[in-house]
Amino acid sequence: MGNFRYNRRRQVHDNNESTTMKISTMIPVAVAFGLTVASLPLHAAETGDAAAGQGKTSMCIGCHGIGGYKTAFPEVYHVPKLGGQHAAYIVKALQEYKAGNRSHPSMRAIAASLSDKDMADLAAYYAADAVKSAAK
Amino acid sequence: MNKTILAACCLLLAANAPAFAGDPAEGQKKSQACAACHGADGNSAIPDNPRLAGQHYDYLLKALKDYRSGERKSPIMGPMVANLTQRDIEDLAAYFSSQKGLVLKH
Repeated sequence: MGNFRYNRRRQVHDNNESTTMKISTMIPVAVAFGLTVASLPLHAAETGDAAAGQGKTSMCIGCHGIGGYKTAFPEVYHVPKLGGQHAAYIVKALQEYKAGNRSHPSMRAIAASLSDKDMADLAAYYAADAVKSAAK
Repeated sequence: MNKTILAACCLLLAANAPAFAGDPAEGQKKSQACAACHGADGNSAIPDNPRLAGQHYDYLLKALKDYRSGERKSPIMGPMVANLTQRDIEDLAAYFSSQKGLVLKH
């Protein structure tokens, strides 16, 4: 009888322990899953065409294609270099401008006029030859 | 008339001089937290994370300041820059802008 009680207590204890184990292993799994989902590209459907992108740069080159060009409004700083930038990041930036999550009057207006395909093409164009660019 | 032109030229020169307040060597020391996502020299290997190497100093400055002020929102960059001082930001921008990477593309 005494042994039975002891064993039963052991069993309950073991069960509790295994439940605790499960929860503690579930947390990293859930986090990993969340990270995987979060890192999936939002606009994976569009594949960029660098050659097509080159034909769509007319609205970009006035600022991004001129060496040393600075913004005039609302703050003055050099517009970012795009040559060799990651395509995924360029698309992300354009989507943020379009959605209004990133603010710059000119970029917001220009991005608003771009389709997902336009963005992918432009990103592919600017990202191309990244290795060559890195050599400068 | 000549003096006016001279003054205008001086102003232009002053405006175009790089406002290079940061120290690249100090920036490199402070860049360890950046390296995991942006690469040790700012040439990030992860497509979602921008390359910083060779980017303009004042653009990097603006980006970091905007993250710090919340003007530019990012759940990752916001906390990363929250405790940076103005000096830290200048040093980091000086380091990454002095690395080879991004180029002007027409």
